[in-house]
Amino acid sequence: MPGIGIKIEGVSVVYGGWGTKPVKALQDVSFEVEPGEIFGLLGPNGAGKTTLLSVLEGLQAPSAGKVLFGGEDISRQAESARPRLGIQLQHTALFEDLRVRELIEFYAGLYNVFLTTAQIQELLERFDLVEKANTYPRRLSGGQRQRLALAVAVANDPDIVLLDEPTGALDPQARRMIWALIRSLYEEGRTVLLTTHSMDEAEALCRRVAIIHRGQLIAVNTPARLIAELNAGAMIKTDLDLPLDTIQPLPGVIQARYTGQHLELESHEPGETLVALGNLARRQGLRLGDVSIRQPNLEDVFLQLTGQAFEA
Amino acid sequence: MPRFWILTKAMFLVHVRNRITLFWNMLFPVFLLVVYGLFFSSSEVEGIDYMNWVLPGVIALNILAFGLMSSSSMLVNMRETGVLRRLQATPVPALHLVSAYGLVNVAIAALQSAAIILSAALFFDYTPTAAGLLRAAPMIILAIFASVALGQIVSGVAPKAGVALALGQILYFSQMFLSDMVLPIDQLPGWLQRLAGYLPGYAITQLVRSPLLSGEWSAALGPQFLLVAGYTVAGGVLAALFFRWAPRH
Repeated sequence: MPGIGIKIEGVSVVYGGWGTKPVKALQDVSFEVEPGEIFGLLGPNGAGKTTLLSVLEGLQAPSAGKVLFGGEDISRQAESARPRLGIQLQHTALFEDLRVRELIEFYAGLYNVFLTTAQIQELLERFDLVEKANTYPRRLSGGQRQRLALAVAVANDPDIVLLDEPTGALDPQARRMIWALIRSLYEEGRTVLLTTHSMDEAEALCRRVAIIHRGQLIAVNTPARLIAELNAGAMIKTDLDLPLDTIQPLPGVIQARYTGQHLELESHEPGETLVALGNLARRQGLRLGDVSIRQPNLEDVFLQLTGQAFEA
Repeated sequence: MPRFWILTKAMFLVHVRNRITLFWNMLFPVFLLVVYGLFFSSSEVEGIDYMNWVLPGVIALNILAFGLMSSSSMLVNMRETGVLRRLQATPVPALHLVSAYGLVNVAIAALQSAAIILSAALFFDYTPTAAGLLRAAPMIILAIFASVALGQIVSGVAPKAGVALALGQILYFSQMFLSDMVLPIDQLPGWLQRLAGYLPGYAITQLVRSPLLSGEWSAALGPQFLLVAGYTVAGGVLAALFFRWAPRH
């Protein structure tokens, strides 16, 4: 399946009307999602991710700017683009009195896609819902509900899949299962755009990410490149107690400091730094213990770009 | 199957599968009839056997309850839970959605009315005439449209399902004893009788009662017919203006 690219050009959304102070939910946001990639919109709650997704879904008209799907401007004709979209809203609410099998058939039918029994069975198997086919959504676990929401989102065989917080409050196992399903959508050539406030999820799943903060786009790139551009080292943490001036000259060390009872070292060469630190400790009659190493991640990128710690 | 019928089928299933909705939709109307039938079955109103007199009132009462409370709060509930928003994200035109919802509502309220008549025939020796039923049926359908349209104004202005239910109850109970439905209106003070004449409940009751009792359409009911038709149109326009896919933030 050839995916369809998404182009977002100068999109702004301003809420508010008579007697209320206007709220700029999005300010002049522009970026492109390439055909057939998994792209992540990353940012804390309230950053504007869901608003941007609502614009793409045609549920929110932009105050300015435009959106193109495969080169076609859909900003003023959102309805015409909907048949190509697979949508999972943040709080996916489905009719609670329709069974899982009926819901898949129902939502596909709303797109004029009439699934055969075999096609429904195929979707049930793919999303691991066979045993729940005749169950009402209220009796499903969180993970099962999310898998159902995904099954419903792709029941119309969309080119573009828009997922709003697809793993929300799921446990790690359910989360990984959803990740595998999202990757399978990518393998089929669909363009996947998802929002997340999980840095782990963005790094694990997305080829590229856009970081949004307070309605503004602050960075777009692959997670690896964003992290590399930080030029930050790995963070080594240990409970060793030595004078800082003896630690600073060790190989690879960028900076060293004490936070509470812990020594924190930022290093470009964490392996060499650790060996040297172990030797230094031994010479002082001490033992290197309680060591942890953390590679720089997207949280550090967010901190550097916004001056604020990332709080989901 | 066209999208409209897919939506209609789904909404019908949602209505009949929900036990609470089912109770209020199918058992409550019969319960109303039984209560009034048992307590007042031996009396007469305006020289008419009470069951013959009250049955159209119970039908009208139930139509009002359905439109103002059940139908309105169900739509608010669909809006609150995000079901409407999810439907908005599909290519289904809003007109299909509204039409499907309206059709299911009309079908259910019509079934309720039939259940009331059937129960009266089975348990209270009520014997309607074919001419009466035939002529009352279009009035019942018009009344349902009016009540559902008024109920959708409630759903449009109410921020939450609980508020919609409360507003619906105020409108329903305020008409219950003022509309000649289950208690004769001539026992009210003159000014209140004149006011009651403009209430949808009163007009609906007269429109349904007259053909059921006489088997004919009376020209004297023209004003009531126009009033209910007016409530339907005005209610539909206002409901469309107030309609929202998602809750207000």
